[in-house]
Amino acid sequence: MSWTDLGWIVLSVAIFIGFITVVVLALTYAERKLIARVQQRIGPMRTGPFGLLQPVADAIKLLAKEDLTPGRSDKATFWIAPVVVFVPAFVAWVTIPFTRDIAIRNLEFGILFIMAVSGVSVAGVLMAGFGSFNKYAALGGLRAAAQLMSYELPLVVGVLGVVMIAGSMDLRVIVAEQDAVWYIALQPVAFLLFIIAGLAEVMRPPFDIPVAESEVAGGPFIEYSGMHWSMFSLAEYANTFAVAVLAALLFLGGWRGPAPESGWAQDMVQALWLLVKVSGMLAAMFWLRTTIPRLRIDQLMAVAWKGLLPVAFLNVLLTAFYLYYGWPAWTITAMSCGVMGGAVALYYRRRSARRGMPETARVRVERGRVVG
Amino acid sequence: MAGERGVETVDMLLNMGPQHPSTHGVFRMILKVDGERVEDAEAVVGYLHRGSEKLCERENYRQIITLFDRLDYISNFNNELVFCLAAEKLMGIEAPERAQYIRTIMCELNRISSHMMFYGAYGTDVGVFATAFMYGFREREVIQQVFEAVSGARMMHSYIRVGGVAQEVPADFVPRVRAVLSGLKRGIEECDRLLTRNEIFLGRTRGIGVLSAQDAIDYGCSGPVLRASGVPLDVRAAEPYLVYDRFTFDIPLGKSGDCWDRYWVRMEEMRQSISIIEQALTQMPEGAIQTPVAKFGFVKPPKGDAYVRAENPRGDFGVYLVSEGKETPYRVKIRAPSFCNLMALRQMVRGSYLADAVVILGSLDIVLGEVDR
Amino acid sequence: MIGLLRAMGVTLKTMLRKPVTVQYPDAHLPISPRMLGFPALLWDSAVDEPACVGCKVCERYCPTDCISVTMKDNPLAKEGKSTRRKMVDDFQIRLERCILCGICVEVCNFEAIAMTDYHEQADISRGGLLATKDDLFRMGRDFQQRAGIKVTPGTPKLEAAAPPKEGSA
Repeated sequence: MSWTDLGWIVLSVAIFIGFITVVVLALTYAERKLIARVQQRIGPMRTGPFGLLQPVADAIKLLAKEDLTPGRSDKATFWIAPVVVFVPAFVAWVTIPFTRDIAIRNLEFGILFIMAVSGVSVAGVLMAGFGSFNKYAALGGLRAAAQLMSYELPLVVGVLGVVMIAGSMDLRVIVAEQDAVWYIALQPVAFLLFIIAGLAEVMRPPFDIPVAESEVAGGPFIEYSGMHWSMFSLAEYANTFAVAVLAALLFLGGWRGPAPESGWAQDMVQALWLLVKVSGMLAAMFWLRTTIPRLRIDQLMAVAWKGLLPVAFLNVLLTAFYLYYGWPAWTITAMSCGVMGGAVALYYRRRSARRGMPETARVRVERGRVVG
Repeated sequence: MAGERGVETVDMLLNMGPQHPSTHGVFRMILKVDGERVEDAEAVVGYLHRGSEKLCERENYRQIITLFDRLDYISNFNNELVFCLAAEKLMGIEAPERAQYIRTIMCELNRISSHMMFYGAYGTDVGVFATAFMYGFREREVIQQVFEAVSGARMMHSYIRVGGVAQEVPADFVPRVRAVLSGLKRGIEECDRLLTRNEIFLGRTRGIGVLSAQDAIDYGCSGPVLRASGVPLDVRAAEPYLVYDRFTFDIPLGKSGDCWDRYWVRMEEMRQSISIIEQALTQMPEGAIQTPVAKFGFVKPPKGDAYVRAENPRGDFGVYLVSEGKETPYRVKIRAPSFCNLMALRQMVRGSYLADAVVILGSLDIVLGEVDR
Repeated sequence: MIGLLRAMGVTLKTMLRKPVTVQYPDAHLPISPRMLGFPALLWDSAVDEPACVGCKVCERYCPTDCISVTMKDNPLAKEGKSTRRKMVDDFQIRLERCILCGICVEVCNFEAIAMTDYHEQADISRGGLLATKDDLFRMGRDFQQRAGIKVTPGTPKLEAAAPPKEGSA
């Protein structure tokens, strides 16, 4: 490796971290504004025009804040934990392409690399929970460990279907293979699996059980403040963005869309298409966040192991049949939808067998007399 | 100790509160947890103790009304009412009919606003990111503007007085309340759609914190908590006060006594309150609003004692008033429904998950101002 | 699933509605004419003296003991210009203790104190919210001008518990 190569790598990493940070700042602003609208509010308005500088103000506040260390905490673990969460969140971005030509380093096993790297962050969250010397943090850390490991499986197995059809783990190839039809049409089950498991992986509501503020008051991050807390926050949003981008790449045709044939303009328009799809995904995630109550930890585990995982394996199996016999493309769609319908029907039958809708009663009172 | 699978486990004491986002104020629970399971729970109250009962012994009857405002600080009208009814009972007077209707309307409006507060807080407890809270507060705000227009204050009204109410309602009162009610109906439907039949909400609240009818009676529960367990006891119907014996309404009852039932009973009570207010608005007569009593409401009830109870949003709120015929009462004992309902917490929380403990506490809808007094 | 979708529908519908936010320091919600703000002293512009005679009845009946009053002889009474023989010497309200109950207004026999619509009081020091006589007169005069309240000696006491601003409702 020559010095120029090294310089190039350092430069691109620097640009990239800057880029992701800006994206995260924009994301927090967009989230606050969107959630505000859902709640008939207008969101931040006082910093800059339309409150546009709010994320900047937040960042400055976090940087200027005192960074506290709990007295009896495990200092080394406590300080390293944010880094362990922060680094994988950014390393995963190394291989995520924004257009056919823009990526830091395209890897042939890209999707595997992303999955493997993002798995490391579990350790960081667990370390934060352990190092904080706080019972809430410990509970949250354990919750996080259980949740992140459980949802890794359906996530990976769900993506496997896409990888099988595309015949490659290279994200650029996967997008190129979606020439005729987006994979969301061929693999609707895998798409849903990816979204659900992806939300759980980044601990976004309704899967924010490890950090649930009404239960464990912030969980593993309860003792962190200032810069170190903002590293967790940065990682969370970078991961959220990554899930949205990956969903767009794997299932929504990535940067595909009407664009000029070649040159500089092509890259820009392609990136724009990706951005549009990613924004849609993110808006849906924020919308979910405002609407859906949080699950309980046992329900969460049940969803992963009893629901998502069997469906994911079934999906892989059906995809294998489809590929082996070379059936026409609509069959896999039909089979996939069938699996989904079957799963939902099974869920409803089991639930209604256990208990139907809640029963209620009422007593009528007429002019001060109970009449039954 | 060795667990069931031979794994060595140690129970952990988890101190929840007084500073915790979901203890609804400064309530403290000491939970004994085995992992996520709650083995035992101990409720610690008293962080908001202000000595209201003792303070009542040095304040005169007009000043005590301001203290009662601050007991259950989200159903102020109801509290004021009970104290004034007790004083009236001692003095053997009754408020004029119009005042009774105004009191009824304000109390029922207050019930709606209180249940809306519950709705919002409960949504946050089960983890809807602030949406339920904002929806609840959106509806509550409209009611509070009516309160401000009538009494001059949004929360601490001191509007209901011994022998009547402080002042005549504004000229546009009836049409304004009607407009508010029609808005509320839509608001309640919206709130209903957001949570009531939501599968995850059902999963989080059904079968959680079950309180049987017998247990609810044994613990002295009242209000929505008791009715959710299927006991049809509502003071408004059992011992009608004010003009409640002139209205037709339903008492919603739960079947299983779980958190969902307690939630549903409150949602349904809001609808019934709307119906009661509508009936009251049509029936409201013209006339005086205040029975002539001592100047400035500084009454001196004759020697004796009286106990009066009424249906507050949280349950059966009672006041035992002993008078020595002086400017200040000799003793004021307050039966706070939140405090009695809270007693059932330990039994309900035992054996549930940590996350359920929060949901169960939320479903009791306690107000610490009243619990700690 | 159906319940979830219905919930999503509600939030989506609300998203398209107009926000209810009022941007507070720039815009205010309408204040009710009966608004119980901080109490202030009224000014008798006919004689050009305070309406308060310093009789301490408000001090005695304040539930939080936040008022303190002292009384002095009224020099104008000796000159025959005023019917008030006594007048307020010093009057202080500790606004941070005031609970805005309106009892002082109800018990006042001279229409000398009123609940204004002032409600924005904030300070960063402990003594900062001590309203002196001058503060109270400033607040009161301003409020009188806005609400159009005239105080003259011998104004009959309005019905108990009806703040004077009721007329402007």
